[in-house]
Amino acid sequence: MSKIAHIKRRIKSVKNTRQITRAMQLVAASKMKRAQDRALASRDYSLLLARMLHVAISHTSEINHPLMTERSVKKRGILLISSDKGLCGAMNANLFRSVAEIEGEADFVSVGRKGKQFLSRADKNLVADFTVSDKVGYGEVRPVIEFLIKSYMDGEIDTVEVLFPRFVNTMVQEPVTVRILPLLNLEEEIDKLKVKGEENTLDETEDDREIKYEPDVETILRDLPELFIKQEVYQFFLSAKASEHSARMVAMKSATDNASSLVDDLTLKFNKARQAAITQEILEIAAATASNK
Amino acid sequence: MFVEIVTPEGTLISKEVDGVVLPTIEGETGVLPGHIPLITKIQRGELKLQEGTNVDLIAVDTGYAEVIGDRVAILTEGAVDIEDVDLGSIQAAQQRATEALEEAKTSDLDPAEIEQLETRLQFLMTQKLIKETSR
Repeated sequence: MSKIAHIKRRIKSVKNTRQITRAMQLVAASKMKRAQDRALASRDYSLLLARMLHVAISHTSEINHPLMTERSVKKRGILLISSDKGLCGAMNANLFRSVAEIEGEADFVSVGRKGKQFLSRADKNLVADFTVSDKVGYGEVRPVIEFLIKSYMDGEIDTVEVLFPRFVNTMVQEPVTVRILPLLNLEEEIDKLKVKGEENTLDETEDDREIKYEPDVETILRDLPELFIKQEVYQFFLSAKASEHSARMVAMKSATDNASSLVDDLTLKFNKARQAAITQEILEIAAATASNK
Repeated sequence: MFVEIVTPEGTLISKEVDGVVLPTIEGETGVLPGHIPLITKIQRGELKLQEGTNVDLIAVDTGYAEVIGDRVAILTEGAVDIEDVDLGSIQAAQQRATEALEEAKTSDLDPAEIEQLETRLQFLMTQKLIKETSR
């Protein structure tokens, strides 16, 4: 009897867990939808901005801009975008594996509680930690970018790279590292922004005449790179957020499924035990009657 | 020539036209096929798209324009087709924006966000102006 009661209790507790994971799955699904829409809406803008800057760089013979000059890399600057909360499958773990593969001296800036914990545990050089809420407001992201640009300009770091879980589709998020500073060749960035299978938008620039700038090259190239970096990093944040929610949704979906199959198994076990108990009882009664005759 | 107008909210226009007039910071610049490559800053104002004898007016916010090959790309903070603009709703939006700005100034909002609100308000005024003169 106690075995039956025990199984019953387990069924109840697994069902409770399932209820929670299902609720989390639904919440993540609706948040994912919103995050995806936002990431997609501003993707065109980021892509065009990248293309514009690419055209400007490749059609201008002499560029003298501090953000666009290469220098020898002594120390890399890496911005790690992770999530604040766990329960999102292997997303953060995959991200941290990429961190472990980073070679050479590097300063880290982290956004997301999980990333901060990992970096301090892994004894990496964590120079700053920022918090960005679930809404990913531009006002929250701006200080992060400005901090990075300042560190770069001050010479504390010689590159600015962003490591984040790139949203490919609902099932797939891949950790990627994109170098945003110095700005030299944008093809890589453009590739990162594009969804696979999209045609290459760089090809049609067969016009090789020198570009004219209005009012002049200094005015344009003073603001454009900075606008580009801000928009790009913001786009990475949106992508990371969409990844987080989809990873969580998928993880919670499989947790719910696992709980369901566990409930099925336990119910079978429970029925078997119940049947065994009844059979046992009948046997006992039959034996008792037989011996009484 | 192919023209596309892209804002942070998405792509507004992407089509073939005969000519474009850009509101650059140095005045209006007409772009026809075969124009030399150009990158310029654009200011808040009206952008004209010419298709045959028909001219479409688009209100654009500050941004950049790039002409290369037979392509014109316009990157701007905001863009609206004037035909879709309705004066009544603009007035209402302007009202809301003004209130939001007043509120933002009294609370300690991020200066960048206040600036965004101001830009939004100015852009609404531009839309209204273009709409009124185009009638």
